[in-house]
Amino acid sequence: MIRRRPVLSLLSALAMVFLLGPILLVVAIGFSSGDTVEFPPPGFSLRWFDQALSNASFQQGLLTSLLVAAAATLFALVLGIPVALAVQRRTFRGHKAVETLFLSPAIVPELVLGFALFQQLMVTMRITALGALLIGHTVLLLPYAVRVTGASLALSDPALEEAARGLGAGPLRAFFAITLPVMTPGIVSAAVLSFLTSFNNVPLSLLLKGPGISTLPVEMLNYVQFSYDPTVAAVSTLLLAATVGAALLTERLVGFNKVFSR
Amino acid sequence: MTPVVQLDAVSREFAGTAAVRELDLTVRRGEFTALLGPSGCGKTTTLRMIAGFLEPTAGRILLEGEDATRLPPERRNIGMVFQSYALFPHMTVEKNVAFGLKMRGIPDGELRTRTGEALELVGLSHLAGRKPKQLSGGQQQRIALARAIAVRPSVLLLDEPLSNLDARLRIQMRQELARIQKETGLTAILVTHDQEEALELADSMVILDQGTVAQQGAPREVFRAPANRFVAEFLGYENFVELPDGRTVTIRPEHVEVLTSESTDSTPSDGTTVDAVLTAVRFRGTDCVVTAVSQGRTVLATSSDFELRSGRQVRVHLPAAHTIDLPRTKQELPTS
Ligand SMILES: Nc1ncnc2c1ncn2[C@@H]1O[C@H](COP(=O)(O)OP(=O)(O)O)[C@@H](O)[C@H]1O
Ligand SMILES: [Mg+2]
Repeated sequence: MIRRRPVLSLLSALAMVFLLGPILLVVAIGFSSGDTVEFPPPGFSLRWFDQALSNASFQQGLLTSLLVAAAATLFALVLGIPVALAVQRRTFRGHKAVETLFLSPAIVPELVLGFALFQQLMVTMRITALGALLIGHTVLLLPYAVRVTGASLALSDPALEEAARGLGAGPLRAFFAITLPVMTPGIVSAAVLSFLTSFNNVPLSLLLKGPGISTLPVEMLNYVQFSYDPTVAAVSTLLLAATVGAALLTERLVGFNKVFSR
Repeated sequence: MTPVVQLDAVSREFAGTAAVRELDLTVRRGEFTALLGPSGCGKTTTLRMIAGFLEPTAGRILLEGEDATRLPPERRNIGMVFQSYALFPHMTVEKNVAFGLKMRGIPDGELRTRTGEALELVGLSHLAGRKPKQLSGGQQQRIALARAIAVRPSVLLLDEPLSNLDARLRIQMRQELARIQKETGLTAILVTHDQEEALELADSMVILDQGTVAQQGAPREVFRAPANRFVAEFLGYENFVELPDGRTVTIRPEHVEVLTSESTDSTPSDGTTVDAVLTAVRFRGTDCVVTAVSQGRTVLATSSDFELRSGRQVRVHLPAAHTIDLPRTKQELPTS
């Protein structure tokens, strides 16, 4: 393999170095015993994990992030799945326009979207930071929900539901016995992608935070602006472990490729 | 006896364009009917209207004598085999076959027996626990058939069921289909563009042309006596000749005789014989197809005389028994 495709092998190796290198660096620094970010670390310790876990703003940020990601994912799916179904089946005129509408947040720069929502929700309508975060993230996730569930629907045979109807199932029964189970891998994929997208988001969260309410990435950004110790490296290491864990779990449930293809 | 399926002047338009026009169709109990025609002639549309997936824009559909025009599919007691098979991917073969019985509220014991019988009928009992993805195309096809048959439908609807199979499997499945229909005595409507399939399987054949019936009847009748040029062409008649007496006739290349000075000197007493020159000879293994030109008119013939060469002077005989009169179509009528 290596001998046959030297250029490809070299490029793969470089990609690995550039992708994995910084990540491994961060992990190493997280376990450092030193007082500042330095490489190689002077020794091994878990003290920065202790620091990270006992930091009140990180605790608050993690809770907010989890809550916002979970709720926004749920809202986006509840709104997005019917849209994906209607678009796939062309149930009404103008389904293209509706699809475009629901996909448009992905085109607008997130800072612009965030600023518009900030103006509208927080300044004009005086909605709380948590409410604004929930609405903002739901808008952010809608394109993922519509796209990914839509893609899995497009791959499934449109005759399936008809087959169920022909065999004696009413419309509701056909939906719950056939259409929904067939869509499940797509829905799980959309949920995982949406959750991660929300959880990792900075621009929207930066604009829509409020007193005592902000997300973990925003708190981490705040922290590194003022301190140069390995706490954030420790947080990053924990997040990395959680993400890898979630990915493995998803792989067991629906297959990794299904989540990230399309 | 009431027909199982009856269409009364059924039409279906899509955005102003007619896919099916005033179609009349009667299917009697136990009969195997084939809807035959080129792609786009409205076969699938017709079948989907019978199944209840599409509503006619005009006309009536009767199932077992009852008006079913506006009845949803789940209340029609049909068994449909889709071109894509449409097996439920998240269910085992057994669950797939049992689905229709479950929807009908059949009690567990009977459900298992009937599912088993249907699987037995298609010879795949040993695959009951598999998922559709783990089956070959031919096996999926049989499961789709078993699933449709298990509910004992009043009519079995088959939309090009064999078209996704390779040539050898297709012929094998054709025989299977014939056997299963005989054994169950089911009424069936088969949609196909493959004339061989229709000829072999059907008791009654309906040839569609742009959403209307071009001809219907028993396969033997229709094949021996196509009613018009469209049907003749569709069934593989390749010669359309205007005879000296003004009649337009059609004849299959297999039935045209090529006579050479070696083969015979006498002129056949029946039919029409003309002098011609061969302009092309195509070798096909068991025979050759020759193109003969006589006074500017071209006739295709098959011959097992492998000495025939292009440029050869021959006589072409159209036996009376095989020449079929065609009505003149509008384009062929002389302008007055
Ligand atoms: N859902 C549809 N929307 C618009 N036109 C359609 C639709 N279904 C079929 N048609 C048109 O109706 C005609 C007949 O189609 P179909 O019944 O599928 O033909 P066949 O099965 O004989 O190939 C075709 O011209 C096709 O383009
Ligand atoms: Mg078709």
